[in-house]
Amino acid sequence: MYYIDLAVTGISFGCMYAMMSVGLTLVYGLLRILHVAHAAVFALGAYVTVLVANATGSILLGFLAAMIVTPLFGMAIYRVMYEPLLKYRPDVPLIASIGLLIFMQDAFRIVFGEQGITFHRNAFAFTTFNIFGVTVSAVQIATIITAVVVFTALHLFTTRTRIGIGWRATVSKPQIAASFGIDPIKVRYLNFAVGSVLAAIAGGLVAEMNNLVDPGIGFVVSYKALAIIVLGGLGSVRGTLIASLVLGLVEAYGTIFIGAWLDRDAIAFLALIVLLMIRPQGFTGARTA
Amino acid sequence: MLKQTIKLPSVGRKLSLGLTSILMLGAATLMPAQADIKIGFQVPLTGPAATDGKSAQIAGVMAVEDINAAGGVLGQKIELVTYDDQAKSDQAIFTANKLIGEDGVKLVVNGSYSASGRAAAPVFQKAGVVMISAYGVHPDITRAGDYMFRLVHLGPQQGAATALYIGKNLGLKKISTITMDNDYGQATMNGFIEASGKYGITVLNKYSYSLKDRQFGSIVASVKRDSPDAVYATGYFFTGGPLVSQLRAAGITVPIIGSQAFDSEKFIEIAGPAAEGTYIMDSFDRDRKDETLQHFFNEFKKRAGYAPEGVAAITYSAVKLMADGIKRANSTDPAKVRDALAATKNFPILEGNLNGFNSLHEMIMPISVNVIKDGKFKPAGVLTDLDAFAPPEK
Amino acid sequence: MSAYEISIISIIGINVILAVSLNMISGFCGQISLGHGAFFGAGAYAAALTMVGSGSVLLAILAAVVTGSLLGLAVGFASLRVRTDFLAVTTIGVNFLFVGFVRKQAWLGGEMGISGIPASGFGPVGNMTMILLFAAATIALSLYISRSWMGFAFRAVGEDEGAAATLGISAGAYKLAAFGIGTALAGLAGCLYTFFTQFITADAFDFIFSVMLMAMVVIGGIGSTWGVVVAAVGLTLLPEAIRFVNDYRLLVFGGLLVLVIRLAPGGLAGVIQKAFLAVRRS
Repeated sequence: MYYIDLAVTGISFGCMYAMMSVGLTLVYGLLRILHVAHAAVFALGAYVTVLVANATGSILLGFLAAMIVTPLFGMAIYRVMYEPLLKYRPDVPLIASIGLLIFMQDAFRIVFGEQGITFHRNAFAFTTFNIFGVTVSAVQIATIITAVVVFTALHLFTTRTRIGIGWRATVSKPQIAASFGIDPIKVRYLNFAVGSVLAAIAGGLVAEMNNLVDPGIGFVVSYKALAIIVLGGLGSVRGTLIASLVLGLVEAYGTIFIGAWLDRDAIAFLALIVLLMIRPQGFTGARTA
Repeated sequence: MLKQTIKLPSVGRKLSLGLTSILMLGAATLMPAQADIKIGFQVPLTGPAATDGKSAQIAGVMAVEDINAAGGVLGQKIELVTYDDQAKSDQAIFTANKLIGEDGVKLVVNGSYSASGRAAAPVFQKAGVVMISAYGVHPDITRAGDYMFRLVHLGPQQGAATALYIGKNLGLKKISTITMDNDYGQATMNGFIEASGKYGITVLNKYSYSLKDRQFGSIVASVKRDSPDAVYATGYFFTGGPLVSQLRAAGITVPIIGSQAFDSEKFIEIAGPAAEGTYIMDSFDRDRKDETLQHFFNEFKKRAGYAPEGVAAITYSAVKLMADGIKRANSTDPAKVRDALAATKNFPILEGNLNGFNSLHEMIMPISVNVIKDGKFKPAGVLTDLDAFAPPEK
Repeated sequence: MSAYEISIISIIGINVILAVSLNMISGFCGQISLGHGAFFGAGAYAAALTMVGSGSVLLAILAAVVTGSLLGLAVGFASLRVRTDFLAVTTIGVNFLFVGFVRKQAWLGGEMGISGIPASGFGPVGNMTMILLFAAATIALSLYISRSWMGFAFRAVGEDEGAAATLGISAGAYKLAAFGIGTALAGLAGCLYTFFTQFITADAFDFIFSVMLMAMVVIGGIGSTWGVVVAAVGLTLLPEAIRFVNDYRLLVFGGLLVLVIRLAPGGLAGVIQKAFLAVRRS
């Protein structure tokens, strides 16, 4: 039971990491930029979810509000920060991205307080179910179900709708897509928008899990997301999914064993560095490093 | 057509531009401050401890206002010279030097975490400056010398008191421990582990987590497997809150005992219904029928927007104590104030009655325990067996 | 001179050494390193252990320099495998690994750090003087390299490895050299820091600090020794001079970083250059 408990923890984490990291891999796949500031989008999503849920009494409205605000923020980041920097080598937008993340983290601290904010009424966090001796919390179930729904929807969107197919085409073969009349700029906005919406959902779920959103919330997940997208193969959504679940499970089991001699955060980075040295193309080798 | 070779501006030009701006900045930095009785104040306004820093700052300011409103000390007003030490050791040293060198301060209240107190203590000791550590619990702070005082129970002592409370008062024997990985969390837990044998406590397993963690899935699953009589966790309210809620969410119903830094309304807010029944060690008794306490409580809540927690209460008390020391010494000379503080007997502070200080300038005072009932802090006992958690002597 | 003035000048000196050495790696040679704090920390811990064990200043300096550069060379090898932004991510990882590892090792002081480190024996003024001398030497070294063939090779490698190869410049060797020199200096700064504080904890060498250092390099003008020196001094003094900056430090640093990259990628040095050019043309 113990090991299944750990597995459930690992999987629900993995699902959350996946929703958070997909945005990162999407941006990389399209623009070859490491959008570290994505963590700020994630954090904003978490804050908005709590604020709106507290103001309206409805957690659903909280999520919806976050899903509207974050794509705007994400697209703005592209337009204002990345677009003019595309002509430089890739570390330039990376440094700018890190600068923005740090700026936003402090901004959250100043605006919302160091203590962070909590849900006034969080039904989810405290409801648990006992299934065959395994304790599963409502949030864990919600996270897993949401992830399944979201990724299925994403898959359908990119394979069944015109916009989605156009998007995939632009990512893999930009010139050909353009010659078919697909506007690459619109695709970029779409890319950031979708990634940001997913991050918002992930943020809201983490807010539920912890019942606390503090300024550092994005930072902690951001470098894990970096590790995940490299492990999964940059630009590959499927790879990101797999890597997320793997990392979630490794962390769940690993903290018990490795936690004695290595910080939990460092574990993700260790995996990342080892992999980059051995196989710079990541697990699925979708793109070169 | 020959391309004009562009002559770069001389190094001298760039240098003088740079130097001028630096000199201006330097001048702005080094301008001296003004008179009155100055008490230095180190608080973590930014960084991971910012939540406590804000509470400490508001409390400190309130204490000064209350003192000045009552006529000040020795006919003079108190001025608080505040610096943000970010709860970091190098900043603590830096701001300590600033207080000594720049502001000419001779009396300091350190309202920050142990990392700061430990770093600043030797600096102040060497300069003959009195420092009261409001809530830094690491033993090294007072070991720096006789100008150091501590107004909170030492970490290891709190841990020992916890062992006494769990073993004797609650009668629970098999305990799973969860330690926060920093000097505060570890020092406190070490004290508990050391004293556990005395009260028949068996530590089933020891787990640890870092300051930044908010997710404890693995620890929770492991504790569940341990099936202990109770769980003892050290940490701050922002780690304890999620931890307790996750422990309860996993179906763990045994009592949970938290360390002093859980003591905050925010803890109840975060943990929600899961907070019910949590014991908090060395948590201050809010129900005490004391006018100063109630006034402090209401005024703080008005200013901060949230109810004061242990950190606020103790910082307020520290400033008040410093003023009292000056009064009794009838002077601001640090050596005299030090002696007056060392001779303190039965001084009323917000948390209760301060018996005094021992030879190492550690405070002697009973430890009160709270339990959370109906979303409020309720007294759950006072440990008066001072020998059980007596601080070390010099 | 007051204790405060001595300590602020000491910190400025240390930051100058760190920023200039980072500039050698990231500015001259174009290898973006966002984990410079790790080499600083490695040097600091090496010096601390040496001082506690032997009390010899000379050995401590040596130990710090060697430890810093060994770690730096290891990372330098990594730079041969991955391209620039992934190198940046790797260096972030190295920083986190360093801090994460040190915090768990009892022999390195763990969470409590190493306290009570024996004094260097020079006193605060002596330490400050030593720091300033080393800072001056670092600046001199940086200027010298910048104008030498090595500097040219660094720049060539930084801008276009392929083109550099056609000139017979082995990218790998020069990248390693840049890392080796830059991190040795960072290690030295770590030793000086240990003399200054006599108490170190891992969190002084974290990723945020590394970002601050990179901010100094970028704002000063990546590649320009003097620009970086001015930025290092200015950005160290700024939080002291202006209260607002001190309270909102990360906001200001992060914001400046974004603004500079976005609007004036050449940093302070670039802005000054453009201003003088404009004046010249008119």
